[in-house]
Amino acid sequence: MTQRSVTFTREQIAEYAEASGDYNPIHLDDDFARTVGLPGIIAHGLLQMGLMATVAADAAGGPHRLRRLYCRFAGMVVPGDTVTFTAEPAGPGRLELRAVNQRGEPVLTKSIAEVD
Amino acid sequence: MAEIAIAGRTYPPVTFQIDRERAAAFAKAIGADPAAGVPPTFAAVYSLGVTAPQLFGDEEAAVDFARLLHAEQEFTWSRHPRPDETVTSQGRVASDVGRRGMRFVTFETDTTDGAGLPLCRSKALFVIRS
Repeated sequence: MTQRSVTFTREQIAEYAEASGDYNPIHLDDDFARTVGLPGIIAHGLLQMGLMATVAADAAGGPHRLRRLYCRFAGMVVPGDTVTFTAEPAGPGRLELRAVNQRGEPVLTKSIAEVD
Repeated sequence: MAEIAIAGRTYPPVTFQIDRERAAAFAKAIGADPAAGVPPTFAAVYSLGVTAPQLFGDEEAAVDFARLLHAEQEFTWSRHPRPDETVTSQGRVASDVGRRGMRFVTFETDTTDGAGLPLCRSKALFVIRS
């Protein structure tokens, strides 16, 4: 089992926005996020997926062994949340991926990687 | 909500050069090793990232970006691109359905290399809340 825990910060979410070019204000502006019914800014699903991919890559023996990656974004991640990302072998060429927050709530579900 | 269902809509292909420094900055943002080449999920930039703005900017598609949640994402790689490689991506709306007051848009992107060979397929499910 390969595992990594990450405590999300505003700075990290802003850094991902800049690196990815995804400047949706729900990730950057608390007031705006509240106007669309969110508790405040939330992390990008693709940031969670990027972090998950690093764990899958470690489990697979390198990032370029990843052939397929699927994530379902099941729960919101807000600044201050600590998410534990886990990759576990689940048959030949297959990893089962999980991400759970500090309250034990899943944030990525039914997620898998296929690897070389 | 009077919107046009846009299943089957295809957008023009977009060419994108994978900038080495930008890929390294992306690696750093996800805590990956910037020296290990283009991170797999940089597909969020070179594949989905170049086609999704076409969908969001399509007035007829009427996808409200601010009420959009990214519900599912799949990337499938034939191979991973190299830094400085030029790739081409084309997006299409695979499905567009309304259910329980929400709209579910499946948006697929195929990315190919300079020889036209497949690199990556992105499949995103967007949920737009009303």
